[in-house]
Amino acid sequence: MRNFSLHLPYSAVSLCAGAVGVLAVTYIGLIAVVMSYAALTVEFSQSVRNDETAVAGLESQYLAAMARITKTDYAAAGYAAPIAKVFVPAKSVTALR
Amino acid sequence: MRAQFRFRIRLILGVVVCAALLILLRLYFIQIVYGDDYAQKADRQFASGGSGLFDRGSIYFTRKDGTPISAATLSSGFLVAINPQTLGDPEAAYAAISSAAPSAVMISHDAFLAAAAKRTQVYIEVAHHLSDGDGKALAAKAIPGVQILRERWRYYPGGELAAQSIGTVSFGSGDALAGQTGLEASYDGTLSRSGDALYKNFFAELFSNVGNLLVSAKDAREGDVVTTIEPEVQTRLEHDIAKVNAQYSSRESGGIIMDPATGAIIALTTFPAFDENNRQDIDPALLGNPLVEHVYEFGSIMKPLTMTSALDAGVITPETTYDDTGCIIVNMAKICNWDLKARGVIPMRQIIEQSLNVGASWVATQLGQEKFREYFTKMFGQKTGIDLPSEGHALLGNLSKPQQVGYDTASFGQGVAITPIQMIRAEGAIANGGVMVEPHLVNAIQLNSGITRSLDWSQTTPIFSAEAARETTDMMVALVDEKLQNGKAKIPTMSVAAKTGTAQLTDGHGGYYSNRFFHSFVGFFPAYNPRFIILLYTNDPQHVTYASETLDSTFLDLVHFLIDYYAVPPDRGLATTTPA
Repeated sequence: MRNFSLHLPYSAVSLCAGAVGVLAVTYIGLIAVVMSYAALTVEFSQSVRNDETAVAGLESQYLAAMARITKTDYAAAGYAAPIAKVFVPAKSVTALR
Repeated sequence: MRAQFRFRIRLILGVVVCAALLILLRLYFIQIVYGDDYAQKADRQFASGGSGLFDRGSIYFTRKDGTPISAATLSSGFLVAINPQTLGDPEAAYAAISSAAPSAVMISHDAFLAAAAKRTQVYIEVAHHLSDGDGKALAAKAIPGVQILRERWRYYPGGELAAQSIGTVSFGSGDALAGQTGLEASYDGTLSRSGDALYKNFFAELFSNVGNLLVSAKDAREGDVVTTIEPEVQTRLEHDIAKVNAQYSSRESGGIIMDPATGAIIALTTFPAFDENNRQDIDPALLGNPLVEHVYEFGSIMKPLTMTSALDAGVITPETTYDDTGCIIVNMAKICNWDLKARGVIPMRQIIEQSLNVGASWVATQLGQEKFREYFTKMFGQKTGIDLPSEGHALLGNLSKPQQVGYDTASFGQGVAITPIQMIRAEGAIANGGVMVEPHLVNAIQLNSGITRSLDWSQTTPIFSAEAARETTDMMVALVDEKLQNGKAKIPTMSVAAKTGTAQLTDGHGGYYSNRFFHSFVGFFPAYNPRFIILLYTNDPQHVTYASETLDSTFLDLVHFLIDYYAVPPDRGLATTTPA
């Protein structure tokens, strides 16, 4: 039977130190990513809210314009009422009652 | 050498096993023994409750083409707070704030100076609702002791539009803003937000609560509310109702437009109303919704329901006649027609066309107390289930007594009090082939998950046979074609069914005023396949007696508007030209 021996090029201490270093860098990187993510989330959210506010302003203008048109007194604005109304009859005789 | 190798292997194995055991022990303490503490600590560290900005879902109107228009949404901007301990010159600060933010909701000059004098405090809010531009401009001035902070608030783009139905948000018994009235209250569970979703740490969630990250229970509950209210029709109805109220100096007026086949309410309003964005000085009584909370004696618009009940029960037919004597005595009470005149022997349709109280009483007598009570309890005995809070009960006490006079007066809408929403639902049964539907304002919820959930309002209550409903409709169409505005209201290409109602107001002492009235009007069209049913009322109009004088023009204006706006096709082909 052959003798078996393990020969590592680095000592265990060096390996552990390296692993700790990698983990520390990863941890710091993770924190940076998390903070950036949170900042972007807040920024995007605020951007959406600002857009919603702008849309609400436009909707308010639309509804106000609609109310203004509805309240317009056409007689006071100089328009005369029609002298006759013409109604379009139903095409189908089955609609007759 | 070999023994030495084995020893080393066993040593390493032992160390690994010990380490594993230690880790297991540690995990046991972390996850089992102190699990809750660590979870709370993690929550505080990684999923804290955001910045406290107000958040809430939107409520939408729906245009006829399906476009949603915000009825209630959020507006964002800034608030101004002062720190009295570091505020140098209060007068200068006030001038700077008021000039930089003219549109802001700001406390008075005196209140500002009083706040600035409170040297023991470090934070007092003095102005709200600054626009984005104003807020940033004020922040750029860097006034010592003045803080500019982000703020969001509830905003109603329509202002007064459907105010009582959309509802209000305010502080209730708790310290959080919540829906208090209208749809804001009915759908508070859908509209309210827990507030921490936005700022949650993705990685914290990934490691601690991956389930919530993928499928959030809140996403299946929180969302926006889509109503059936059409903003242009709502605007028109509000305008017309306000006009009637002003013209006759009424105490209040109201109206509802509904699809009788589905129960979808297209518009509803009462006057006086209030501006949702400016509620500082309004009467709290206005915050309620009389259309669902108040009961009224509606008068003669009850006659079609009495007639349809009797037709359905088979106790009369449209050809049945009776001898109208003008007045009758029932249980020592005198019941008369509106003009006190007798008509002689006439058929049933004249009861509707001429609105005869004696005729309605005769029909009620033919129907019998038990049947009459059965029909009216079916129609008005339960709440409609509309998605608005604080719905009222009908007052049907007279139908529990043996005196016939109670049934006779109920047959023409006196002595029983009904909410407007109950009344339009019952009248809708005539329009809808005898079947009552569930009136509702919201037809869908747009969930945050992206799914649109349609609400089920398909429950129906059969009341009358389709034939009985059609026979009454014939009578109501004849009223419009022949009687309303002396026949001028007739639309040659559209069958319209309608009925007016004039009720005497109660005097609070068990009797009725002889000169104060409640006017109502109900109608639907196209009469034999209706798309719209309209209920209007005006309470205590001055210097006018009959509803045909106050509400007919409003009703016809709405009918013509709806025909044009929705391009409702004609349903009959009579003569095509009429004088304007």
